[in-house]
Amino acid sequence: MSQPPRDRDDLRAHQERWERETRGPHVAAHGERLAEFRTQAMRWPVKPLYTPQDLDETGFDYLRDAGFPGEYPFTRGTSPDGYRTELWRMLQVTGFGTGEDWARRGRYMLEQGLNGLIIEYDLPTTNGLDSDHPLAAGEVCRAGTAIDTLADMEAALDLPFEKLQHLTSVCNGPQPVNLAMILAALEKRGVDPDSFTLQMPNAILIEYTCVGRYIYPPAHGLRVATDVIEYVIRNHPRWVPIAVVSAQLYAARANPVQELAFGFSIAMQYLDAVLARGFAIDEVAPYFSFITGVDMDFFEAVAKLRAYRKIWAKLMRDRYGATKPESLRLRLMASPGTMSLTLQQPLNNIARLGIQMLACALGGGAQTMTSPLHDEAHALPSEEAIAVGAAVQNIVAHETGVADVVDPLGGSYYLEVMTRKIEDAVFAEIEKIDTQGGALRAIETGYFQRALAQEQYDRHRDLESGRRKLVGVNQGAVSGEKRSIELFELDADAERRQIERLQRVRAERDGSAVTRALARVREAAAGTENLVPPILEAVKAYATHGEICEALRDVFGSHHPDSLTTGI
Amino acid sequence: MAKRIRVLLAKLGLDSHTIGVTVIAKALRDAGMEVIYSGLKQTPEMVVRTAIQEDVDVVGLSSLSAAHMSHFSRVLELLRAEGASDKLVLGGGVIPERDAEKLRAMGVAAVFTMGATTTEIIEFIERWWTQREAQ
Repeated sequence: MSQPPRDRDDLRAHQERWERETRGPHVAAHGERLAEFRTQAMRWPVKPLYTPQDLDETGFDYLRDAGFPGEYPFTRGTSPDGYRTELWRMLQVTGFGTGEDWARRGRYMLEQGLNGLIIEYDLPTTNGLDSDHPLAAGEVCRAGTAIDTLADMEAALDLPFEKLQHLTSVCNGPQPVNLAMILAALEKRGVDPDSFTLQMPNAILIEYTCVGRYIYPPAHGLRVATDVIEYVIRNHPRWVPIAVVSAQLYAARANPVQELAFGFSIAMQYLDAVLARGFAIDEVAPYFSFITGVDMDFFEAVAKLRAYRKIWAKLMRDRYGATKPESLRLRLMASPGTMSLTLQQPLNNIARLGIQMLACALGGGAQTMTSPLHDEAHALPSEEAIAVGAAVQNIVAHETGVADVVDPLGGSYYLEVMTRKIEDAVFAEIEKIDTQGGALRAIETGYFQRALAQEQYDRHRDLESGRRKLVGVNQGAVSGEKRSIELFELDADAERRQIERLQRVRAERDGSAVTRALARVREAAAGTENLVPPILEAVKAYATHGEICEALRDVFGSHHPDSLTTGI
Repeated sequence: MAKRIRVLLAKLGLDSHTIGVTVIAKALRDAGMEVIYSGLKQTPEMVVRTAIQEDVDVVGLSSLSAAHMSHFSRVLELLRAEGASDKLVLGGGVIPERDAEKLRAMGVAAVFTMGATTTEIIEFIERWWTQREAQ
């Protein structure tokens, strides 16, 4: 303990006196706004005031629990100098239309001063289907970019690579096919693959818990993801082949404790699978990165970011025996959450984004941040919204001074108590998942899915009952509100053009080479060899995305969750 | 004891946003209804087959992607073809008002979008049920 006990006894006496003489009479006279105060996300009771006494009660020890930035347990940041060396990298998510459409938008965003891009794909692509599959009708080029063949990826990667430092490609189920498309397209364009960082979430296990863009049964999904990780570590050591996108758990309404516990359990499942391929922990841990979402529960959000770093460091050191600093240091991308954006009074979302971005900056340690856009609750973001999103990041970075001090909220009695509470609860939940046999089992039995479904329902009831407020929705709502903000108009013709190109590629390629390449993919899938090389050959022969996924489906089967494993 | 209202909640096509359908499933169950959930990636044919096999009273279709017009109208068409158009068909999700109008004209009894409460939906179904029982 940093202070002798006598001071603490003094403090307790003073606080009791304050309660008796000052606060007690005030509350007796004026009452309080609410019958009980609770935190937004965890619904934990909140005291009126936090003092060093609360730190004592949680057993807080400065050196053990907070420490110094850039050193174990990294609570105060993974960088020794916070954001004083460099600010976070600024990214925005985009994805729509054909490869050319995306490249045009990507070039525009890079010209706005962003140095990284995230590409999202449409639902047929992320579900492993070609654009002319019957289930794809109406969805092609809509929620993201359509990639059917190498020709599409070549068009999408028509970018000024000298301005691009970082590309994130989000295609979880078919990630090896997507990786192969990118590798082949870079080769055709003559771009050095190691001139930028490619990050692939490759986050299939989370898809089974909430997002639903799965293809094969979970155990095969894990194998495919592990192949991608192994291939990248061996061939492109600068890239990041795995991101645990706990932001998706958060978007599925996981509370901060569930988000971290489920996310880390899933990370450990991948880690165990990669270790089983003959790597040592310090060779693989540095490749793991995480993506989290930040909501309006300001202090819980900041505490979550601090606990995130600390828990990872402890797991790596104590559970896996990692020793390299890069293994212990969490790589984190944080993003204000689109789930708190409202359709009602959409300009209010700019205020929400600013507050969430501030929480991201104060939570520290996020190397990269993305800003969603204020019209995302409506439709695909407009160009005006992209400019405002970038401005929000710059305002937080340059106008507030929060980036000039490392972990400036550290030492706040409330925040330190919250950080410890989250940490303790996450470790307890991880233990519960361990006793069930780990993340893969928890997915197969539906444990995660049921927990999320319950939290979704509870959260909704909180909004309907007004316990949780949303301005413009259940607080200050305007009835008969007119909705008029500038929205990006989607090109209705994109689907037709996409299917035309797909069919042209199919007609022009060497069909027997494709058949041979797909047979090789099936053979590899039935055995244990890494799937990326045979898939890369198939991509170069212009086998389609859907054909390659179908070849894997022939061997692995499809995932059909039952009522227990949907959580509903 | 009165017969419990049986409801099928279905997700059509590739749309995998399930929070709305989850919340409604739980709320309808809490209101005493029997709820069957289709799971993801259903075709209109699969949904209508389930609705008939399970002998449901209400079919709730959820869509948060843009494919609601084609999918919902196909479900209505197939229900009619099967002589099952006495079922109450509801729509929900992100559906622009101009589309909601067309869907109602086609035979979707009500379209619930963002901001609709579970209470509203439960009351709508119960009102319809009471009227039907009275006939």
